[in-house]
Amino acid sequence: MKYCKSCKVNYDTTLEHCMLCNCELEEIENTEATYKFSEIKKRSNSRFFYRFFFFINIISALISIYLDYSANGFPLTWSWVVAINNLYVMVMFIILAIPTMWTSKLTKVLITTVMLVLLIGLAIRDYYWAIDYVLPIVVATNILLITILIITNKKKWYDYFASLIIITVIGLIPGLLNLIHLTHEPLPSFICFVYALITLMGIIFLPSKSSREEFKRRFHV
Amino acid sequence: MKKKKYWYKLDNAGKIFPAVSKDDRSNVFRLSFYLDETIDPVVLEEAVNKVLPRFETLAVQLKNGLFWNYFSSNHRHFVVDKEPAELCKYFKPMNNHGFLFKVYYLNNKVTLETFHALTDGAGALHFLKSIIYHYFKLRGFKIDHEGSILSEKPYSKKESEDNFVTNYDKNKRRNLQEEKAYHLEGEHFSHHWVLLLKAKVDTKALINLAKTKYHATITQFITALLAYSIYKETNDFIGNKKPLKIFVPVNLRPYFDSVTLRNFSLYIKGTYDSKKTDWTFDEMLALTKEQFVDQLDKDKLQSRISSLVGYEKNIFIRILPLFLKTIAFKIGYSVLGESISSCSISNLGIVTLPIECDHKILDVDFVNAGYGLAMTLISLHSFTNITLSTPLKDLSIINHVISFLVDEGLEITLDTNYKEGYDEIL
Repeated sequence: MKYCKSCKVNYDTTLEHCMLCNCELEEIENTEATYKFSEIKKRSNSRFFYRFFFFINIISALISIYLDYSANGFPLTWSWVVAINNLYVMVMFIILAIPTMWTSKLTKVLITTVMLVLLIGLAIRDYYWAIDYVLPIVVATNILLITILIITNKKKWYDYFASLIIITVIGLIPGLLNLIHLTHEPLPSFICFVYALITLMGIIFLPSKSSREEFKRRFHV
Repeated sequence: MKKKKYWYKLDNAGKIFPAVSKDDRSNVFRLSFYLDETIDPVVLEEAVNKVLPRFETLAVQLKNGLFWNYFSSNHRHFVVDKEPAELCKYFKPMNNHGFLFKVYYLNNKVTLETFHALTDGAGALHFLKSIIYHYFKLRGFKIDHEGSILSEKPYSKKESEDNFVTNYDKNKRRNLQEEKAYHLEGEHFSHHWVLLLKAKVDTKALINLAKTKYHATITQFITALLAYSIYKETNDFIGNKKPLKIFVPVNLRPYFDSVTLRNFSLYIKGTYDSKKTDWTFDEMLALTKEQFVDQLDKDKLQSRISSLVGYEKNIFIRILPLFLKTIAFKIGYSVLGESISSCSISNLGIVTLPIECDHKILDVDFVNAGYGLAMTLISLHSFTNITLSTPLKDLSIINHVISFLVDEGLEITLDTNYKEGYDEIL
């Protein structure tokens, strides 16, 4: 135990000087005082690297757009592809850095990647391959993957439920694109739509008490 | 019988926390017990996992619904960790097997840090007492629980009740308008580090001082003391347009006959005008007493509960998708939440333990790391720990609080998480 003559307080810690007046503390008891907390260690500011990563990507996009504009004027050509990729890398970084369940991460990664492909398609003014093939195949594969996970890991099925609902609803989009004649090759989109619809109907109408409970939880207002 | 699968809607107090919590606003509070022996982490982990199924409202994980978050049962194994250097550190439940509380060990100390969405101080204290009781039992001690350890009592459904909702009365709603409060500003410690200064005083001497000399309760006396210290030690309070507002959470359980383990507390506040330039301590104390008596009225408390629950029952708020609610909460909290309070004082009262357990617990910590300055009180054996915690480097207010207590004749023993040399790191 130590004592500060100036502040008239005892100290039960390892300090040599009083925190309040900075006077030297006197030893008043022979018992050894201990520091009762974990010591903080000097560490670098790791956020700088995150900020630097985002800064580099934004600069890369802006320089590309400037160079493209300087050389070719409007409409921009190759710089869109670079900028979209810079954006994609930043979004992917955020998705992977935030700790969530890996099925949720996978769904987000696939949606972001499909968006990347569609945007690149739009940038190069040839997006049919992205709409006709990439979108329906990726979405249908993801629905299949999560369905398999739910069937094989029944204990955790409710953990995958949100991802399944989101990806199933997205799975209906290719069918709508067919309807408004935005697709050249309608078959993959049609298959994806039907598969998503069947899955959604299954989720809603399968007479399982636990799925009804899960609906109640997820949609309570 | 207890259910194996269960889920809860978040209570009124807890709804906002998942949206607004971050590194420098963790909304985590700490309770620690110092034992008379070095902690065995293996036994501690076993004790936590033994106790956890009994505490249904704590054995949960936070899930996202379309409109609201909710708590879903969590049967994963809980893992204890070594105590980190930061107090009330923000943690991601995903990295904690989904659980919204942490149990740490360090030398002879067991620490429970709880995310406020889960429960308040009273609920967390029940949980920590049960953990410690089972820890001693697993260590081979024969201890009679004397009816004061919740895990040894049969489970009651009332423990899981949302008493904000059960005490909601549509007709008692009123408009809750809060003016903005004066804020303590200054340089912060880096790495979201929070300074703790614990002043240990004799409980009888403190009661004597508050009751005999000032005719006040301990909470009224300490609130007035903090207000007076802020008035004396800050140079921008006088003349500031905003009043000083000290928030004091009140345990609502005794008022509404509740045994819930979920959040069930509400703030009352001491408000002090910044236009008055000649405050004395006695004036501040008289005002504090008057305000507390006025606000600690069951009807008024129920009226506030009804108003708060009324917001969440609003159909437009209810049908707003969760991601929009989250954005609204973030904006609302930064505009209103923090700005209406200057600092807080939380008094958890006396910790009662079975007699054999009581002998084996040497000390207790209760820390609420808020912005500005947070003060807590907790009593064990014959002493009371008044803990001041702040992310600010300026210690003048803390200095004034301690000096005042010393001048009033209290013998004080200080402890802190500060060490010489920390100035270079923080």
